[in-house]
Amino acid sequence: MSPEEIVQLTRRDFLVSATRGAGGVALASLLGADGLLASPNPVPGAAPLRPHFQPRAKACIFLYMEGGVSQVDLFDPKPKLNELHGQKLPESMTRNVRFAFLQKDTAVLLGTPHRFRRCGRSGIEISEMLPNIGSCADEIAFIRSMHTEAFNHHPGELLMYTGSQLLGRPSIGSWIAYALGSETKNLPDYVVLTAGRVPSGGNTMFGAGFLPSRHAGVLFRNQGEAVLDLNNPPGITAEMRHRGLDALADLNRMRQKVVGDPEIASRIASYELAARMQVAAPELMDFSGESAATLDAYGVHRDGAGFHTSRGGGPETFSTFAKNCLLARRMVERGVRFVGIHHASWDHHNELDNDLAFNCRVTDQPVGALLKDLKQRGLLDDTLVVWASEFGRTPLGENRPGFSKVTGRDHHPFAFTTWMAGGGVRGGQVIGETDELGWGIAKDPVHVNDFHATQLHLFGLDHERLTYRFQSRDFRLTDVAGKVVTGLLA
Amino acid sequence: MRIFRIINSGLIAALTATAAVRADGVFDVAVRGQATAATGHWGFVAPVLPVPPRVKNIRWIRNPIDRFVLERLERDGVDPSPEADRPALLRRLCLDLTGLPPTPDQARTFLSDHRDGAYERLVDELLASPHFGERWGRHWLDLARYADTSGYQIDRVRPHAWLYRDWVIDSFNRDEPFDQFTLEQIAGDLLPQESQTKKLEPLIAAGLHRLTLMNHEDGVDAEEFRCKARVDRVDTTATVWLGLTIGCAECHNHKFDPISQREFYQLYAFFNNADEVDIPAPRPDDPARQEKERKQWDEAEAQLRAAFDSQRTNETRRAELKKQLARHRRSQPRPHDTAIMSFRESTNAPRARIHVRGDFLRPGDDVLAGTPAILHPLVPRGTRGADRLDLARWLVDPANPLTARVAVNQTWLHLFGRGLVSTSNDFGKRGEPPSHPALLDWLAVLFMTSTNASSMGPAPLPSLAWSRKSLIRLIVNSATYRQSSRLRPDLAETDPFNILLARQGRFRVESEIIRDLQLSCAGLLNEDVGGAPFRPFMPDDIRKLGTAGAFSWDNSTGSDLYRRGLYIFSQRTVPYPTAMTFDQADSCESCPQRERSTTPLQALTLMNHGLFAECARSLARRITAFPGRGPREKIGAAFQLCLSRSPSRGELNRLGQLFADELAASPAPSCSAAQEKAYAQIAQVLLNLDEFLTRE
Repeated sequence: MSPEEIVQLTRRDFLVSATRGAGGVALASLLGADGLLASPNPVPGAAPLRPHFQPRAKACIFLYMEGGVSQVDLFDPKPKLNELHGQKLPESMTRNVRFAFLQKDTAVLLGTPHRFRRCGRSGIEISEMLPNIGSCADEIAFIRSMHTEAFNHHPGELLMYTGSQLLGRPSIGSWIAYALGSETKNLPDYVVLTAGRVPSGGNTMFGAGFLPSRHAGVLFRNQGEAVLDLNNPPGITAEMRHRGLDALADLNRMRQKVVGDPEIASRIASYELAARMQVAAPELMDFSGESAATLDAYGVHRDGAGFHTSRGGGPETFSTFAKNCLLARRMVERGVRFVGIHHASWDHHNELDNDLAFNCRVTDQPVGALLKDLKQRGLLDDTLVVWASEFGRTPLGENRPGFSKVTGRDHHPFAFTTWMAGGGVRGGQVIGETDELGWGIAKDPVHVNDFHATQLHLFGLDHERLTYRFQSRDFRLTDVAGKVVTGLLA
Repeated sequence: MRIFRIINSGLIAALTATAAVRADGVFDVAVRGQATAATGHWGFVAPVLPVPPRVKNIRWIRNPIDRFVLERLERDGVDPSPEADRPALLRRLCLDLTGLPPTPDQARTFLSDHRDGAYERLVDELLASPHFGERWGRHWLDLARYADTSGYQIDRVRPHAWLYRDWVIDSFNRDEPFDQFTLEQIAGDLLPQESQTKKLEPLIAAGLHRLTLMNHEDGVDAEEFRCKARVDRVDTTATVWLGLTIGCAECHNHKFDPISQREFYQLYAFFNNADEVDIPAPRPDDPARQEKERKQWDEAEAQLRAAFDSQRTNETRRAELKKQLARHRRSQPRPHDTAIMSFRESTNAPRARIHVRGDFLRPGDDVLAGTPAILHPLVPRGTRGADRLDLARWLVDPANPLTARVAVNQTWLHLFGRGLVSTSNDFGKRGEPPSHPALLDWLAVLFMTSTNASSMGPAPLPSLAWSRKSLIRLIVNSATYRQSSRLRPDLAETDPFNILLARQGRFRVESEIIRDLQLSCAGLLNEDVGGAPFRPFMPDDIRKLGTAGAFSWDNSTGSDLYRRGLYIFSQRTVPYPTAMTFDQADSCESCPQRERSTTPLQALTLMNHGLFAECARSLARRITAFPGRGPREKIGAAFQLCLSRSPSRGELNRLGQLFADELAASPAPSCSAAQEKAYAQIAQVLLNLDEFLTRE
C-alpha cells in the first residue's frame, strides 16, 4: 500500500469514530468533498459530505446593505407614524434605551414621505421607491420582526455576518462553504463583491475566523485582475508558465518519492487548481455571451449621471452594483457556493430623503432583475437570495447636537426588516409584526441567530450540529441560541 | 494545524486507545502521592520530576528527552528514525531558530566541520543570532494578539505598539528568564524599581494587555468596550499562561472545567484597577538608526526645497510642492516622540462586579481579586487585597501546575509541528492528554527549577532556571529532534500524525517565513532588526476596504520593502492579504496554534505576486553571476542555495531540460537576456518547490 492509500484508509476508520462526536460532520467535509486540499493530507476522491437532511438550497446570494436600512420608509408601512409626525414618544417607550446620537428628551417622530403600494398577488405593501423588488413580492418572504442587540455598525455587521459581535469569527459564507464544500473545482467556494462605499469593518467581515483559511471570502474585483495575483507577472507568457508548472510538478513528485509526505500531492493539486482558476475567472467576468436584454435588465450600462449621495459611492456605483448582481448569477451557475454582495452606505443619520432615493435607484433594478433572471433560468429553486442590514432606523427623527435640522434617523436595533427569496423559502408572505409606530416587535420576533439558523436549515444543516472545535469550545454560527423560523419554509 | 488536532483526538480514541491508557499509567506513577482525587484532572496537579525511564537501545540516547520517547517506542515495538542528513539538519535548525535559510557561509562551515560538537556549535551560534529573537518573538506575538491598530470600524493606528514587539524580540535575544518575562508583562508598572531613573522596559512590557481591541466608532458606549477589553485580558492571560479557555465563564459557570463565573470576575477584578496610560518616552532606537532617518529626512527636504526654488517649476507645481513641504515638516523625525502604552494602578477604581450573563449593563455581586480555587493558592504580598503583581507571581509560582507545562509545550510545538499536548490551547478536561506525560513533566519541572537539579537523579541534569534558550538547546540537541522527517511506510500506517515521535515533523513554514526565505535566497532581504513597522504595497481596492475607505496606507519605499515579514504593519480590519493567504494569525484574539492550509490562492500568490516575481528575477541575476562553467553547474549552485542540499541527478536533469526548453523557445537563445530569462524560470520553480516552502 502506498502512503496515500494508508492515510486514506486511516481516515476512513477515523471518520467512523469521529462522527459520533460533535463536529464530526463538519470534519467529514474537511476530509471529503473538496477535501482534495484539506490540510494536512489530501484524500483524493473521498466521498462528498452529506448535509444533515435534505437541503433546499445549493447556493446563496447574500445582499448586504450596510449601515442600517430604514424599514419604516421601505418595508414596514406605519400610517400611525405619519399621523403622529412631530410628536414625542411616551417616556415609557424610551426608558432604559440607548441611542448612538439621538437626544431622547427632545426627539420627535418622523413620518415617511414615501407611499407604499400593494404588490403581486400577495398584496404585500412595499415602498414605491422599490418598484422592481416590489414586482417580485410573490417570491419574497419579508421578516418585519428582526431584532439585534448590537447598535453600533461594526459589532452589528459582525453579528449579521458571523453570528457574533466579536471580531475574528467565521462568516456565514465560510461556515456554509466549510460544511458543504464546493461544487466547482475552478473557483473559490465563497466570493465577495463590493460596490459603493466599502464595508466599514474591512475584509474581516468575510473572514474564515478559526475555520481553515481556504473558506475565507475571496474578493473578486471589478477592474484589473478578477482575483488578487491571478495574472502571470509581466514577461511570463502562458507557454512559459506551462513549462514551469510542468517542471515544478515533476520535481515535487520526485521529492514525494523520497520523503513520502502525502501533503506534497496536495501542493501539486493546488497548483493545478490555480492554473484552472486563471482560465475560469476571466471567463466568468466576460459578459460578451450575455444578451443585450439581460444586460439592460440588470442595468449594467446605467451611468448614474445626475445622482449624488453624501455617503460614498459615486455615479459608477450604478453600473458596479448591476455587474455584481449579474456576476452573482454567473457564479452560482458555475457552482460557487456563497456569493456576498456588499453595498454601502445606508447609514442615513441625515439627508435621508436624497440618500435613500440614491441607494434605491442603485439597487432596486439589479436586485429585481437578479430574482427574475434566476427564476427564469430555474435557478431560484435552489438559490437562496438574502437581503439584510445590521439594524434598522428609528421612527424618531435624529436630533443630534450640531444638526441644524432633523433630516434623518438614528440606529434602531429593536425592530427592522430583512428578506429572503428562493432556495426553499415560501414567498409572498410577511413574517412578524411591529407595533403601530414600528418601534418594537408586536409578533413573532426573529433574532439574527434565528435568521442564521433558518438559512443553515435551508442548506440542510442543523445549526446546533454544525460545530467547530476551537479553543476547546464547539463553536456554532448561532452561538448558544437560534430557532429555525419554520413559517419561512416552503 | 487545528485540523491536525482534531484528527489526532479522534485517532487517539479510535486507533491507540490502549497506548493512551498506558501513557496515563506512566503519568500516574509520576504523580503518585499527589492529591488527584480533589481535581480528577492531571493538568491541575503540579508536576513532580520523574526519573527518565530505562531503555534497551541505549546508544540512540543523546539526552534524557530521548529516554522518554524511546521508552514509549520500545513498548510499541517501533524503531526511531535515523538522524537526518547534515544538510537537512542545517536547514531545519536555521529555520526553527532564526526563520532564515542557512547562508552559504554557514553551510560551508557546518558541512565541512567534521569535528565533534559541530552540531552543538551551530545550535549555539544560531541561539546567539539577533534573528533568534525575531523568530521566537513572533511566536509570542501570536499569543499576545499583537497588531498596530485598535480594530473595529475606526481601526485607529497605534503608532508605537511596536515598542512592545521590539521588547519581546529583545527579551528572547537576551534570554530573559520566563518568570521575569511574565512579571513584566502582567505587572511591569507595579514592579519595584531600585534606581532613581525608572527603567522603561517593564512599562513597555506591560503593554501586552494594551493590545486589546477598542471601538472608536461614533456613538459607542466606551465603557462597553472597556469591559470587553478587560474580559479579553482575562481570557488571554488564561490561554497564554494556563492553557485554559475560560472565556465562556464570562457569562456562565464553565461547563467542563471547574471555573465558576464568580472566579472569572475575580480574575477580571485584577484588571479592573488597571488604568490605561500612555507614557511619553524617547525612542529606543539605536543612534545609528536615528542618524539615518535624520539624514533621509534632510535629503528629502533639500530635494523638495530645490524643486520649489527652481525657476523651471510652474505655479501649480509650486503650490503642490508647498503642500508637500508642509507635510514633510510635520513628519520630521524627533528623538522623543514615542508614547509607551502601559498601565497605572487606579486610585479610585470602581468596584469590580459580576456582569450578569456577561452583560455590562447588568451588574451583579461585588467580587474581590482572586484566582480559581481549583489551582494553587494565591498569596498576596500585602494585607490590603491582591493586585496584578500578585497575580503575576501566582502565575510563575513553582506550585502552579500549568504555566511551565504550557510554556514547554508551546516550545515543543514550534520544534516538532505538534505539541506533546496536541491541544496546545487547552490543558483542561476537554483537551487531549499529553502523548508523553512524563516527558512533559520532566521538562516543566526542570524549566522551573532554578537551583542545580543534579542531586535529583543519578545523571547530572540541566538546570534551566526559566531560560528559554536553554530549554530550546536541550530539545534540539536530543536525538528525538535530530531524526529524519521522512514518512516511513510503517509509520504512515501506524502513526501518520507522528504522535509517537518516531520521526521529525515535516510542515510548511509560516506566512512571514515564506517571505523571508524568498527575499533571502533572492539576495534582497533587509536584515534590520526592530523599529517601526513598514507597509508593503497594497492594491488600492483592498486598501479601501478598511474603515470605510478612510484609512491611509502609504506604501513604504526603498529598502524597507525588503524587511522581514514580522515587520509588516498589522492593520486589524485589513490584515495584509498576501500574509493571510498563508494563515497568518489574525491578531484579534490570542492564537496558540496557527492553521496550516494548502490552497490555490497560495499558488497564485507565489507565482504572481509582485514581490515574489521580483525575487525570482533577482535570484536569476544571482544565478547568472554565479561562477561556473555552464548552466548545469549554475543551476546546481542555485538549487544548493535554496534548499541547502545538492540536487539529485534526476532533479538536475529536469531543471536542465527546463533551461534548454526555455532557450529553445527564445528567438535569440545565445543572447544574455535570453539566458537570464531562462534562469528566471529556474528561479521561480525553485522558489515554488514544496521542499522550499517546507521545514523538513
